[in-house]
Amino acid sequence: MSPLLAEVTQLVVNGAMSGAILAVPAIGLTAIYAVLRFPNFALASHATIGAFAGYIANAKLGLPILPSVIVAFLAAGAVGVVSDEVVLKQFRPAGFITTAIASIALTIALENIVRFGFGNELRGYALPIERDWRFGPIRVGPQQLQNLAIAAFTMAALFCFLTFSRTGKAMRAVADNPMLASIKGINADMIGRLVNFVGMGLAGLGGMLIGLDTTIDPLTGFRSILSVFAAAVVGGLGSIPGAVIGALTVGIGEELCLLFLSPDYRSAVGFVAILLVLTLRPRGILGQRAY
Amino acid sequence: MTNDRIRLTRRSFVKGAGALAVASMAPGLVHAQGAPLQLGVLTPLTGAGGFDGPRMLKAMQAVIDEVNAAGGLLGRKVELVVEDDQTNPESAVRAARKLIDVTKVPAIMGTWASAVTTAVAPVCWESRTFLTTVSGADSITKLPHQGYLIRTQPNNYLQAAKHAEFIAALGVKRCFMMSIQAPFSQPTQERATEVLKQKGSEMVGTLIYDKDKTTYRSEVDQALKTNPDLIYLNGYAPDVTILLRDLYRAGYTGTRFSQSYAVTGKVLESLPPEVTEGVITVQPSADVSSPAYELARKRLGIAEPDSYETQATDWASLVSLSIAKAKAATGVAIHDNVRKICQGGGTKVYSAVDGLKLLAQGKEINYEGASGPCDFTDIGDIVDCKFRYNKVSGGKFALVKVA
Repeated sequence: MSPLLAEVTQLVVNGAMSGAILAVPAIGLTAIYAVLRFPNFALASHATIGAFAGYIANAKLGLPILPSVIVAFLAAGAVGVVSDEVVLKQFRPAGFITTAIASIALTIALENIVRFGFGNELRGYALPIERDWRFGPIRVGPQQLQNLAIAAFTMAALFCFLTFSRTGKAMRAVADNPMLASIKGINADMIGRLVNFVGMGLAGLGGMLIGLDTTIDPLTGFRSILSVFAAAVVGGLGSIPGAVIGALTVGIGEELCLLFLSPDYRSAVGFVAILLVLTLRPRGILGQRAY
Repeated sequence: MTNDRIRLTRRSFVKGAGALAVASMAPGLVHAQGAPLQLGVLTPLTGAGGFDGPRMLKAMQAVIDEVNAAGGLLGRKVELVVEDDQTNPESAVRAARKLIDVTKVPAIMGTWASAVTTAVAPVCWESRTFLTTVSGADSITKLPHQGYLIRTQPNNYLQAAKHAEFIAALGVKRCFMMSIQAPFSQPTQERATEVLKQKGSEMVGTLIYDKDKTTYRSEVDQALKTNPDLIYLNGYAPDVTILLRDLYRAGYTGTRFSQSYAVTGKVLESLPPEVTEGVITVQPSADVSSPAYELARKRLGIAEPDSYETQATDWASLVSLSIAKAKAATGVAIHDNVRKICQGGGTKVYSAVDGLKLLAQGKEINYEGASGPCDFTDIGDIVDCKFRYNKVSGGKFALVKVA
């Protein structure tokens, strides 16, 4: 393999892995947008809450990674339902902008509650760090492959849920046409709660996946929210497959830019991607159909 | 009626005049008995600096107590007038104004945060009040302070040079530097590159990375391509933690070097020991081998006074000695004399009290401090200082050396 080809392959592999992890919370963001029609920035703190719930399960209670990931999903989902019911629901009649701003306020409040409980220091999961596997010039981390598998499995499960289950179909119906769905007797409130549970649960799971690869602190979610938002917008806010494609685009794009740019411009690439995609395709790569 | 009024007025006039006469004599009277010589302390007792401020205050007070026990300055007792800067530039400026305009102190000692020092410095130099600080930002000594400011903390330029000297002395031939995007990154890289070259080593590459990334695999690949013996990780704890993990995963076996604020005890707890094994950390250090340090230890009753406590010790000593040398307690006098008592060919002294004795005999002195030699450049930066190097072994820090 020529050195350049090897480098490009390595960058694509790195990008696909970070993109896949980004995709999980991006799906959460886009699913909530599809049903409730506002970008819920409180996703950031829910990612943090999931990461800390998983940390308690793994490092404090001694559970292995897989059950801890489920704890992260359930805890963030539960907090998501409560915080929406208590805080954000009140703002929805006031419109899209007000609710989005309220969600930013909510995320800062929740993040500080985590800080109050756990302090500011960095924490790591009880997890050995393994050396990378090498395939010729390409190296891949076992932990990252595991994260990729968890992310892929979660996405597959979500697709099955939306395609085959009655509740999943009801969710898509509300996302497509709330008026028609309500005439058909679908309880939009119940679907709203469900989408919050699933969406924030995915955020929590994503937060834990990020933490598995790094360390966690109260800012874990906040640090990645802009990339998550970029992924969802690039794919088409409201489209679930779009979130996956958007996340992979942002992830791989950020890595490939290193061929030409100094690494300190990496974050800019995600946002240049938003500008480009929205200029060429204002509704994102896959448009805004939920599914 | 009219008479009464005149009489009353006359009486009150006489009374008033008497009172005025007494009042105008009063300062003279008190002065003769030795009105205290007041020095300003402006340090963070609350806020982000709330951990260091009170300890610095204690260290200054300890020196002043010793000076007072030995007879004070210019025949007067010395008193510290303490204000809390709250680690907040606005509160700090208000407090500095009070110290300067109301208390009329010749010197203010103890500002900690760079933002606070940057705000307080103009107030000081405009009123010719001397300021001593621990703030590290390079920009501070470049302010047009006309010599009314000294800092005992090494700036980035000095730190980069010292780190590069240490790295070259390890026998490293190929060094790579990964820095977070921050104001200090580029100047540090440039200075370290320069010094490595002078010392026969080489900076084979540098990169500046974006903060807030969840992985730095590709950055690590870029660094490893240059085949370095040592990688200098110049960032903060969250990103350096990720870099250490990614370097371990990539199978890097060379040395990793970082600032002690980026690889803290907490970072060691959050990472498996095999990932941090052999990491070298550096931090500015007190001059632990100096007699002045030994004296500070006894004075404070602390086993190991840290860099901040020793710097505070040195401010109180430098200001006291400058006043004694000038035989005047004004900001201008301290400004004109501070370099006469801390650098040059005079007899080396390690405490304010010893220095005062020699000055009283008309001798020249050279104060060597607990934080370092206390020699200053024209713009008020220290010329040299010690650094503490630790190496991580089994998830714990072990001292390599202080040099």
